[in-house]
Amino acid sequence: MSYNVKLNVFEGPLDLLLFFIKRDEINIYDIPIADITREYLTYIGIMESLNLHIAGEFIVMAAMLISIKAQMLLPRQVNQEAEETEDPRTELVAMLLEYKQFKEAAMRLRSLEEYQARYHAVQAHNPTTDFDPDLFLTDVNLLDIGRFFKKLLDKMPRPTYYQIETIKTTISQQSQIIRALFENRHRMRFSEIARRLKNRIEVVVTFLAILEMIRAAEISVSQKTVFGELWLTRKVQEPAHVIANS
Amino acid sequence: MLSPTHRIIEALLFSAREPLTTEQACLALQETVDLGILVNELNEHYDQSQSPVWIQSVAEGYRLMTRPEFDPYVRRLFQSRGRVKLSASALESLAIIAYKQPVTRIDIDAIRGVDSGATLRTLIEKNLVAARGRQDGPGRPLLYCTTPHFLEYFGLNTIRDLPGIKEIEALFSDSAEQSEPQQDASE
Repeated sequence: MSYNVKLNVFEGPLDLLLFFIKRDEINIYDIPIADITREYLTYIGIMESLNLHIAGEFIVMAAMLISIKAQMLLPRQVNQEAEETEDPRTELVAMLLEYKQFKEAAMRLRSLEEYQARYHAVQAHNPTTDFDPDLFLTDVNLLDIGRFFKKLLDKMPRPTYYQIETIKTTISQQSQIIRALFENRHRMRFSEIARRLKNRIEVVVTFLAILEMIRAAEISVSQKTVFGELWLTRKVQEPAHVIANS
Repeated sequence: MLSPTHRIIEALLFSAREPLTTEQACLALQETVDLGILVNELNEHYDQSQSPVWIQSVAEGYRLMTRPEFDPYVRRLFQSRGRVKLSASALESLAIIAYKQPVTRIDIDAIRGVDSGATLRTLIEKNLVAARGRQDGPGRPLLYCTTPHFLEYFGLNTIRDLPGIKEIEALFSDSAEQSEPQQDASE
């Protein structure tokens, strides 16, 4: 006997039994238990031979079928009180009928599902109350992201570094230079010294040197007009003690 | 011709994410209206203007939907809307819950003759089914019911619109205590 059954199609033992009933046009109220039990067990055999995991429910149903079959083989108890003896198949029939009802209901749901699937809701995206605008980016291009990144960087506490350079220029050094520039002259323009100065520190130190030389009465400074040229005048004294002072 | 009220209802339907109820419409309009009548008039207007949308009465509310003839196009554009159909076992369990609610998992297992735990979890995840209370008795098992989303999914207005519920009820007439009060009201 060949079996042409699709495996995995059956939802459970009841489904399998309903398949046999439908295929063989069996009257559900008068199930030939011997035949259907043989069919059922053969199917389980096929599942076993295919190394399929047989769910416990199938085994339970097999036991039920065999039990019914056994009861039907036994001579019926003569029950005098009841008019009819109960058919051992009654419980199984009730189970099959109930399951069949819901299987049909499931098919109706399937057709409703297929029907409704053709309608598509006009979908609105509701703004939720806990909407966080920072979590959503709309119409953003690469430039916006760059701009945001810059904004973020600007807001960040910036580590500030101060580089402290040792001032290599000294007052005595600048004094020496000034003295050397005078050479044999008595008067000299400040701009002549300034021309040689390379940075702010040198300017400051040179000024300090000039002030120091004034203080030591080595030179004097004169200016004819406001913001005008500064003139440095050398005094005739010996500068030896000035150097010692600095 | 559409009145300003019709247009407001239309706007509400466009902006709603779930079926619009009469209470919601009245709240938004600040007046009492019969949403059903307004919806019918809007649908007539949509019919006359051959609009691609219409208002479906679903899950005790109203929802603006595209007409089925546009399904192939919508589906082609939004592939995610081509819904994954429920499995046979999911539908079986769902049918049992829908017609017999509230039911316990044991009830479902008994009818199907198989364990329905995993299937039930899927249905809960899909928001088609939810636990509503517990049954009195040993273990106080959870009772399961269908959700408003179930009605939407199957295009039903109320649970009473389930096809063939009377036949099913007749089948279980001997177990009257299991029938839903809601279903009794429909009789």
